[in-house]
Order: sequence, then structure tokens, then C-alpha cells
Amino acid sequence: MENIYKPDAMEVLEVTQETADVKRVRIWFRDPEKAAEFKFNIGQFGLYSVFGVGESTFNICCSNSKKYIEFCFRKTGRVTERMWDVEPGDTIGFRGPYGNSYPMKEWEGKNLVFVAGGIAMPPIRCAIQYALENREKYGKITIVYGARTVGDLVCKSELDEWAKYPNVDVLKTVDPGGETPDWDGRVGFVPTVLGEAGVSGDNSVALVVGPPIMIKFSLPVLEKSGFSDDAIFTSLENRMKCGLGKCGRCNCGSVYVCKEGPVFTLADMKELPDDF
Amino acid sequence: MENQLRNAIRKLLEEKTVDVAIGYGRVGVGGAVGAVFVTDPNEVDRLVWNAECRQNLAVHLLRPEVKALGKPAIVVKGCDARAVVVLANEGQIERENVVVVGVVCEGIQGADASGVATGTLLDKCVTCVEHAAQNVDILIGDAAKAAELDAANAPNAKTAGKQAKLAALLQKTPEERFQYWRDEFSRCVRCHACRQSCPLCYCNRCVADKNRPTRIDTSATLKGNFAWNILRAFHLAGRCVGCGACSAACPAGIDLDLLNLTLANAADEQFGYVAGKELGAAPLIGTYAENDKEEFIR
Amino acid sequence: MSQVVTLEQLKKLAADKLSAGARVVAPVVDGGLVSFKEISDAAQATFAPQVRVQNSIKEFFFPKHEVIFTFVRKGNDVEVIDAPDFEDDQIIIGARPCDAAALPILDPLFGWDYQDRFYQQRRAKTTVVTFACKETDAHCFCAAVDGGPDNQAGSDAMLFDLGDGSFEVRTFTDKGAALFAGIATESDKTGSACAPPTCDFDVEQVAVWITENFGSPEWEKLSLRCVGCGACAYVCPTCHCFDIVDEGSYSKGQRVKNWDACQAGMFTLHASGHNPRSTQGKRQRQRLTHKFSIYPGKFGPYLCTGCGNCSRSCGASFGVRPALETLNADVVQNQED
Repeated sequence: MENIYKPDAMEVLEVTQETADVKRVRIWFRDPEKAAEFKFNIGQFGLYSVFGVGESTFNICCSNSKKYIEFCFRKTGRVTERMWDVEPGDTIGFRGPYGNSYPMKEWEGKNLVFVAGGIAMPPIRCAIQYALENREKYGKITIVYGARTVGDLVCKSELDEWAKYPNVDVLKTVDPGGETPDWDGRVGFVPTVLGEAGVSGDNSVALVVGPPIMIKFSLPVLEKSGFSDDAIFTSLENRMKCGLGKCGRCNCGSVYVCKEGPVFTLADMKELPDDF
Repeated sequence: MENQLRNAIRKLLEEKTVDVAIGYGRVGVGGAVGAVFVTDPNEVDRLVWNAECRQNLAVHLLRPEVKALGKPAIVVKGCDARAVVVLANEGQIERENVVVVGVVCEGIQGADASGVATGTLLDKCVTCVEHAAQNVDILIGDAAKAAELDAANAPNAKTAGKQAKLAALLQKTPEERFQYWRDEFSRCVRCHACRQSCPLCYCNRCVADKNRPTRIDTSATLKGNFAWNILRAFHLAGRCVGCGACSAACPAGIDLDLLNLTLANAADEQFGYVAGKELGAAPLIGTYAENDKEEFIR
Repeated sequence: MSQVVTLEQLKKLAADKLSAGARVVAPVVDGGLVSFKEISDAAQATFAPQVRVQNSIKEFFFPKHEVIFTFVRKGNDVEVIDAPDFEDDQIIIGARPCDAAALPILDPLFGWDYQDRFYQQRRAKTTVVTFACKETDAHCFCAAVDGGPDNQAGSDAMLFDLGDGSFEVRTFTDKGAALFAGIATESDKTGSACAPPTCDFDVEQVAVWITENFGSPEWEKLSLRCVGCGACAYVCPTCHCFDIVDEGSYSKGQRVKNWDACQAGMFTLHASGHNPRSTQGKRQRQRLTHKFSIYPGKFGPYLCTGCGNCSRSCGASFGVRPALETLNADVVQNQED
């Protein structure tokens, strides 16, 4: 019988420092058989480990067309402090993919609005990459991404790449006071910039991930623009250990974020008790 | 005495001297005696006082959920009162912001595995010489009776009860003692009931919960269990008041008192220090004396 | 006709299984303490019905500490070495019906999509023999949560104390029948369990209140006396939350699965410092909601067998029964229609 808690050994292919305390790591299976079998859906997550230190949960932040997977982390705890030091060639552990995913198929033919704040860009990045790789399947794409300061923005260079695609608007912003002299984006909070983006709920879906305060003030903007609760999606995070619906700590009321999430619509969220 | 206690608490609540009274009451319907939190003067009848008031309620003084209720009055026995003194001496409570209601305690009965009183006094009560709680604001009960009981226990205070059990353990060879603790700690499940029930285990983040780096294995293996239980005992050296809350709370029935008593005895014998005896006393570990017998510290 | 074994036969059964290399678990009495323990000699066991045991048989399916794999770093690569399979036969003789009843409750959790090999292998290799209860105490409330002193759930066989040094054997599964085949003899004696414990509140009514009152201020009030330890969870036959941690060094070590408890403040603390269950009230709500609303909603049964271990062990005189009783008296019975 298979050991569901046993991770696969992954080779670190590339490490990119995104901000002062955020890194993006590209990894792939050392075992070619595992590599050949591996599949995941956009929006799923995995458990990544530094052997001897521990495991942490992160979204798979790249599209599923690659011969690698990527994740982003902020240096905040025991595992991520040690993860900070990994270099290409090192081995880390991975198990997954777990959880549900963004309904990329259902979204085909629709306009996509991506709203992200700070470190929450990675869980949206996978969907953006996928949508751009399948550009003809989706309508207009609007990306509103903000952080407190220019230094806190992740995937900065990619933002400009994305803007080059046809019918893609990228609105990058920093909170007032967070700009630098050479900043070429906007200054203002994400909900405000979202309001100025002129998005419409007609035949559109929105994916909103970020700090609770950003989500709280972005939702009324979207509602005003005609987005229904079923057309607004988010990706939740909660402390997890197993990722498999057993260890008993990620639930919001009766919903296990690791199995029934991490992707929820606003309609789902309104059913959830205040337990996150 | 129960009525006297209820009247005193009613007055404190009515006159708004305190916002909440932490006392003993029946839990559930006709259940065991545990902590109750009375905020309404009309509900003081929930308070009880009897030989089953085993818990040390001082543990609740620092709990954020209890602090949120406002200024407390707390019902304490002699042993528990000393924990309140240590909390004040260590700067964890402002003594003037707590109304300490001491009771004259004639001894607490042990309980069997179902929680039913056995009729036999607890070991700590056999050696108790503080039947009337000290350093309190209000004393409920007959102080003369307490003095009588103190006098009766005084001759055996350092030899009977738990001290006798400790002495018997210390008679054994180091190998036998090690085997004893191996057997005891093999049952430890690391639930931390000892820590959570202890009024003096108040660290915001216990060393057992720290993981950057991990100093104590969180696993309930003999290695982790020895490390945890011994470390906790050392952290209570010169601080433990011997209330027995840890042993009483241990679901695995480990006699943690014995560890703590060893260190309390050492504090007494080496430094003449009894934790919680004197309000305003400096903590043992935080002080040194010029006549300390160890040269390195002088 | 019934089947009967004597105490001597039971001891011999344990001894025979031990010499055949099986693991044998039984109640062991040590001073005032009764523990379910793996024994090495049949004489260590006390083959008699127990009410108050300091642990549950859970740990023989889901140990308090278990290595899930070891690893060795080899240059840049890491070799991950799987933990061994559980291959021994295991026989538990003398569990309480409320211990055994936890097993069918836990089965779907450990097999929910992903099969937890560690639990499943032990479950497959274990035969559970229970004693029908001869007494109950104030903490017992099995009858209120679909159990009873002779509840068969989870038992492969059950022994009824006949009071004369022998036991009536009733077998419920092939495993149970196989264990006693050739040992039990025919008799006309039949045993019986004690009367079920009384419980003057309706668990279902309280469960409905729990489901419908997530935001109630009652939760904070209810949990004031809880000091936030894990004793109730660790002695509970159904509580199954766990932690996964690494031990050892960077070059060589192991990943382990340890029991964890939802009453501890650290349980849901995020690395960011945010804690979704920041107060004891929220944590107690999680515990009771999990047992009486979330789990039955997902898998059917309550996550509770009414064994009373939690309140027997609680240093603060709390636990599931006192909590349900308090909710029933304070809020459920006071609800306006």
C-alpha cells in the first residue's frame, strides 16, 4: 500500500528572488517515471519540504504545460527560513497535487479579471499563465495587481510581458507612499484601481486573492460592476499538515480547505462560517 | 462557610469592586467541582466550597479569555494562595487589581479514576501548614480551626505525605529511579495538561512549542518525554508552590509532584526559600546573596 | 446454546498468540491505574471488564508517535526510505465496547480518498475482543450516542463475564470466530451486560443547536474553564488530529506523525501570526462542532462513543458530557420555539 505522506525527491532547477523576503523556486522530479506520470490542474497546491526541517503548503504557481513546477514562499517560519537557502541542484520534497482547481474550462469564452495583492500573486499567476498560453480561448483579460511598495511586488518582469499580449490590460499599483522615483505604475489601493479599470460583470469572471482587507473592499467594486457571487472566485489558505483531509486543522466549519478548496466562489464563501 | 463565601462574593459583585468572581462550582448538571466564573451577583449560589475543590483556580488569572471579563476576585486555598503570590512577585498580575478571597481549607479529598471522592486526604494536605490562606484580602472560615490543623501537621510537615513518597523514591538506587521514571514517562502523551493547569507555567510561547530551533522533540517518545518533563521541573525550581495541579491534571497519572518537590526541597534546604510565602519576595532564580555558598556567583 | 471460555483459556490464548509472534494488547492494572498496553507475558494482563482506563485502544491503530519515513542526504540528492509495513498480527483482548466502536467511526476518515496505510494495515491485521460492560460511571453516556454496554460495533468478538471465572463468547466476524475456534466450549450459560448509563439530555437536540449556532457568544462562556491542554483529545478513542514534523538533522532524519489537539492555541496558528481560532471558545466550538456536526455531516456517525474518557481525564472538570449538559441546560432548553 502506498504511503500517502511520503514526498517525492525533487531537483531544484532555478531559484529567483522576487522581493527582499520572497523567492520563487522551480523544481522537477528526480525520478523520470514520476515526472512522466505527473499532472495537475490550475489552482491546486502541494506540500513542499526541506528534509529534516519540515513541510509547508504552497500553491503551484505556474501553468501545467511545463516540465517543471514552481512555487513562491515568503521567509516567515521554520521551513521557509531553511528553504531560503536552497540552490539549484539541491533536493526538496514534494507531494501533491492536492485540492480542487480553477474551472479553466468553464471560464473559456469569458472575460477574465484577476485581482491580486502582495504575496497573493502566485496563486493567480498559474491561471494567468494558462490563460495566456490558451489566449484564443478567453476574452479580455484584466490584471490588477498591487502591493504596499514597489519592493513588495512579485513577478514584476512578467507583468510587462503579460501586457504585451493582445487584449490584456495590466494595471499595477502600489499603495500611496510605496512608489519609487522610477515607478511606472499607478499609486493607489487595489480596490480603487479595480474601480478605475472599467471591468464589467457581463460574461466575465473574477479571481481575487490577497489580504482580507483587500478582498473586503474589492468585492463591493466587483458587485457594483455586475459580477454575481458565482462569478467571483478566490483561493483560501489555512494552516495544513496533511493536505489529505485527515489531520483536522484546515477546516472552516464543515469545509476542509485542503479537499473541498482551496478554490471557492464568493457564493461558497458566504456559506462558510467565520473560521478563517 | 459556603454561605459566608457567597455573601462575600455577592458584595464584591454588587459594589462593583470586581467584575468577575473565579470560584468553585458544579460543572454541567450535578457534575464534578470545577471553575465557575460568576459575573452576576444573583448567581453567587453557583459557588460551592467543599473537600472536592481540588483545582488551583489561579491558572485562570492569566488566561486572556478570563482577563477579558474584567477585574477578578479569586477563591483560593492556602496552597493556591501561594501561587497568586508568586504571580504577583513575578510581575504577572498587579496584586491590587485582584481581590483574593482565601478560604480556610481543612483538607481536600483525593478522587478515584471516576472523579469520585475517596474520603482520604490528598498527600499535600497531610503536610499542609497553611490551612488558612495567607496574603489574602478576605479570609472566609474559622482561622482558629486552621491554626489548630496547622499545629497538628507541623511536626510531620517535612516527612509525611508526598515527602514520604519522595523519600522512599530517593532510597532506591539511581538505576531503579531511572527505571521508575522510564515507566512513568512512557505513558506521557505530551498533552501538556501539566503546563496548562499550572498557574506558574505562563510563558507566552513555551519552549516546548518553539521550533526555530526545536529544543525539545514534540514526539511523545521517551527522549522527548524526558526532555519535556525534566525541563518543565527545572523551569519551576524555586517557583513551584506544590499545589499538585500538574499531577492532578495528568491523564496518564504521572506523579509530577515528585520532580517538583525535589527542587522545592532543594530551594528550601540550600537557600531557605519557600516559593509564594512572602508577598514582595524577589524570585529565587533572579537573586543572589553575598553569603551564597557557591563561589562563582559572589 | 452459548459458547464459553474460562479465564485460564483466555490467558492461554494470549500466551499462545504471543508465542506465535503476535502482538497482544490487554488491560494492565498498575496501582490505581489501568492502561491498555502491549503485553509480553499473559500474566501482565487483567482479563476483566474495565470502565476507567487511562488511555484508549486508539493508539494501537493510530499511535501517539509514528515514523512515516526516514531520509538520508546523499550529496545533492535525498534518499527517502519508506517506513516498514505493519505485518504482525495484533490481538486486543479486553477493550471496552466504546473503544471498539470508535474503529468503524474512524475507518472512513482514514480511507477518505487517500488511504492512510498506517491505520489501514493495523486495522486489517487486528482482532478486537471486547468485554461487555458490567458497570458504568457518571462519565459514561454511550447509550446517548448510539452505543451501549454490549454494543457490537467494532468488536470481532465480545466476552460476557459470567462471574464464575468464565465468559460467554459471542463472535461477530470471521476474525472473531477464528480466534475462538476450538477453544470455546458449548454451554447453556448466557451472560449479560449492565444496564446502559442514563443521560437526561438528547444529544441530537444539542447537536442541532451546535450546528445552527456557530456565532453564539455561548461558546466563549462555555469554555472559560478549559485551560487548553490536549488531554481530552489524547484519551479520546475517536479524536484523530495529528501533526507532521521532521526530526533529526539536515543530513539524516525522519518525518513523524504525532497526535495533536485542537484545544491548543498553536494548533491553527499561521506562520504570519494570524490565528483563525484565537480564543478557547473558538477552539472548544471546533471540538464540539467537529464531533457533533461536521463529522456526522461528512461520514454519518457522531465522532464520539460516549466513553467518558475526556471528562474522567480533564483536570478542569470539563469534557464532552459536561459540555453537552451545560449547553442543553443553558441554551437548548431555553430556546424559544
